[in-house]
Amino acid sequence: MSTTAGDATPTDSGDTAGHGSATGGTGGDGDGALRADTTFERATIGLGTSLLAVVGALALGAIILAGSGQNPLTAYGAIIVGSFGDWFAIGETLARAAPLAVVGIGAAIALRAGVITIGAQGQLIAGSLGALCAGFVLRDVPAGVALPLAAVAGALFGMVWVLIPALLRAHLNVNEILSTLLFNEFAFLLLAYLLNGPLKEPKAITPKSEPLPDSVVLGDLVASTRLHAGVLAVVVIVALFGLWTRSTMGYRYDLFGENPRLAHSLGIPGRRIICNSLLISGALAGLAGWLQAAGLLQRLFVDIAEEIGFFGLVVAMLGGARPLGILAAALLVGALQAGGLHMQATEGIPASLSDVIQALILLGFAVRYAPQIAAIARRAVRSISESLSAVAAWGRPGSAPGSAPGGSQKRPEGS
Amino acid sequence: MSSDANPGIANEARAGDAGVGSGSISQARAAHGIGGPGPDHDNDGYAAALAFEGLGVSRAFGATQALDRVDFDLRPGEIHALVGENGAGKSTLAKIVAGTLRADSGTLRLFGEAYSPRRRSDGSAAGVAHVRQQLSLVRGLTVAQNIELGRPRRPGTTARRPWPRVFNASEARAEVERLAAELDLSVPADRIVDDLPLAVRQQAEILISLAWGARLLILDEPSSALGPLETEALITLCLRLRDEGTPIIYISHRLPELAELADRLTVLRQGRVVTAGTDVAAADLRRIAELMVGDISLLEVRRPDLELGEVRLEADGLLLAAEHGPGLRDVSLSVRAGEIVGVVGVAGNGQEELAGVLTGQLRPDAGVVRIDGTEVTGSPGAAIGAGVALLPEDRTAGLAADFTLAENLIARRVADAPFARLGVRLRAAVRRHARALAERFDVRPPEPALRAGSLSGGNQQKLMAAREMERDPAVLVAAGPTKGLDPHAGRAIRDRCFETAGRGGAVVIISADLDEVAELAQRVVVLSGGRVTDRFGVEEMTSARLGAVMAGLAWDPSGEAGRSPAGSGAPGATP
Repeated sequence: MSTTAGDATPTDSGDTAGHGSATGGTGGDGDGALRADTTFERATIGLGTSLLAVVGALALGAIILAGSGQNPLTAYGAIIVGSFGDWFAIGETLARAAPLAVVGIGAAIALRAGVITIGAQGQLIAGSLGALCAGFVLRDVPAGVALPLAAVAGALFGMVWVLIPALLRAHLNVNEILSTLLFNEFAFLLLAYLLNGPLKEPKAITPKSEPLPDSVVLGDLVASTRLHAGVLAVVVIVALFGLWTRSTMGYRYDLFGENPRLAHSLGIPGRRIICNSLLISGALAGLAGWLQAAGLLQRLFVDIAEEIGFFGLVVAMLGGARPLGILAAALLVGALQAGGLHMQATEGIPASLSDVIQALILLGFAVRYAPQIAAIARRAVRSISESLSAVAAWGRPGSAPGSAPGGSQKRPEGS
Repeated sequence: MSSDANPGIANEARAGDAGVGSGSISQARAAHGIGGPGPDHDNDGYAAALAFEGLGVSRAFGATQALDRVDFDLRPGEIHALVGENGAGKSTLAKIVAGTLRADSGTLRLFGEAYSPRRRSDGSAAGVAHVRQQLSLVRGLTVAQNIELGRPRRPGTTARRPWPRVFNASEARAEVERLAAELDLSVPADRIVDDLPLAVRQQAEILISLAWGARLLILDEPSSALGPLETEALITLCLRLRDEGTPIIYISHRLPELAELADRLTVLRQGRVVTAGTDVAAADLRRIAELMVGDISLLEVRRPDLELGEVRLEADGLLLAAEHGPGLRDVSLSVRAGEIVGVVGVAGNGQEELAGVLTGQLRPDAGVVRIDGTEVTGSPGAAIGAGVALLPEDRTAGLAADFTLAENLIARRVADAPFARLGVRLRAAVRRHARALAERFDVRPPEPALRAGSLSGGNQQKLMAAREMERDPAVLVAAGPTKGLDPHAGRAIRDRCFETAGRGGAVVIISADLDEVAELAQRVVVLSGGRVTDRFGVEEMTSARLGAVMAGLAWDPSGEAGRSPAGSGAPGATP
């Protein structure tokens, strides 16, 4: 830990961002890495209630389906067939779950540190652009070198995309929800411009890029599916996240999220944690963009991000910000999306209705895992309210604006 | 506002104006037949007149029986003190009376009528107000806004406005001002709650609960965060409310205060009534203390002989501008090994800032802090490295409530050798360490996997002490370390402070509780308006001297206190 924080403000000991690698502390044995962290081990609500929630959601969905003239049983059957029915379906589920898990882990690391980022969408786009750029640069480099470099480029681009929001949050206490949301817009508009202009495939009618060069494309894992080799990288990332939750560094990030004042008194540099957790989440969202560009689609489309960035946050919350929870939640969402598409195609159910059914089922699971979600949401809410009270204090007479960004963390409450 | 929202005050206001003195107390007592020895009245005679009566009240939390067939009653126009250790069941009983908790068994009657509240709003609708340590005002709103927010609906009254309920600022302000005048309080209607000193916030909450039609007040440890002057004001307020007809259930550990205030007293121990409704005037306080604790020797302080060594903590010329309050204005302090220095003063006179600066958490605008000669100014990391330990006054600042005991106890040394290898925490070692440490510091239960937030207040304090004082700190800064603790837990914490000093640590006790300082410190420093206004050895500490200097007056040992204000603008120095 730093011992000479030369900071002018008394609130925070962190000097500047970007000291030291954020992931440097995760070496060592992987023994038991995937066991749940005790912090988040809470009693689940009774099995009866939880089953009721999911069954209730299904029943409500059935009523909606029946009301719109569909047969609920065949519709639900189509979801199952479309997600796990054959190798192609399983491949679809896994390929959709992969970026969700990666984004979810990035969101979870930030959430555990009390930082809420909803910028994964934009960072994912940036990451896919990074993969494309790497592809053009490394066109003639052997795949063994080009492939990992493309992944690194994706992560770096994602990180760059969150750099400004991270610095704004850490040093000026600009709420990260707002700034990352705005950066999503920038990313989307930039991509749309590039795909209609400089990067547009000349003869194409719809805006899309040229295919990525073979040297950076991830090969198929199973023939005649869209399951690509990038899924293996996801397994590694989940394992690393398991290690993170058991590492001393992860502990400090968690402690900061749980009680910033205590963390500060123990000399844990808050600004650096805020900054680094945003950068890590940006890197992971960028990696998800690389998975989309180099794995699933092999070229860039305007809607390459789909809604992965937002559903990644859903996955992080639903999974209680824990490694195995996130893995399970990503598989659930991936399966629902793959199955939902299949349902649209085979049963003629409109996309909007399919989305409603998917959301209902997720809601059912949210009730099932309410205690775990609440534990992580508490930190998020605390963080939001602290940002807001800092903003509120800005205009209040008697307080000195600018004297203490993030002052709400500092001031011990009198009661 | 119609007057029926507050029958107690409106009806009795004239009597109060005529003279709050003993006359009206004796009237009230005579009216309710309270003059006699107490417990042996024929109950049937005035059972109907009781403000509250609970018979055979039991409540269990899991395997713990928090209350076991407790009988408790409150007569109209009396202050009934409820005393006992942390975890004796006082707060549980208070919550049951207020409706926040439901009893497993037993019957309740309120002003003669059957009373079975299912939630807190039922309690407030019936006129029961529960003022807790953690006040329930919305901190970002003004007092006037708070009076309107959450006003309970009462059957048959117009206490709640008809639809559409538009907030009428001037009306709300007028209501606050009228009540403040009636109660002789200086509660400003238009100030944001967060900007008010704690004592005023508390008065505001009491005022608001009366405005909402409280006929029975429960005050839960109301004085634990107050200085002597503020406590005096609180006692005056309570007596006034009682004399004007509002009975009070008063929960406290502080027996001297209860002697001044309470009419009767009930002692709880481990969920049972030890002594019920004793007349305070006739009671022997030492005996009561003994009943509370079960072992009187715990209350006697044995101050060990401490040998003074080199200067370990040195603060020089500290200046700090603060958002609220006076901050620090040229404070210097040096503490030697084996020395315990008490910093006293009315809350809000720079104590929080001093604790923050001494432990490196706040960077002063000027001045230095050295520990064993190493400068640690404004760097918590350096301070920790130099061996600083901090027990913050606000426990929520010192514990991670959602973390387990084990995770909390490891916070200072998470990366140290037996507990982590190659950056990965070794949970078995952490758990073993936690159990041993929790047992050593008497944290109950010493269960490493338990959430810290689930412990009682006293045990949270012990947990924090265990983490901070595990390895003899070079410097210990403890703010109100025994605040709100029962004698048992308080004794344990005091002993730890002596132990730290005995092993060569420099200890600073920052407290508004003079008894705490008198028991612990050898030397006393008075902080007023951000300045050190007086320093003396503990043997020279008299309440007259302290009262004067803490109020910002110069101390003239020859006679009366001087009249020159030394620290003008000190907040918290409420009338």
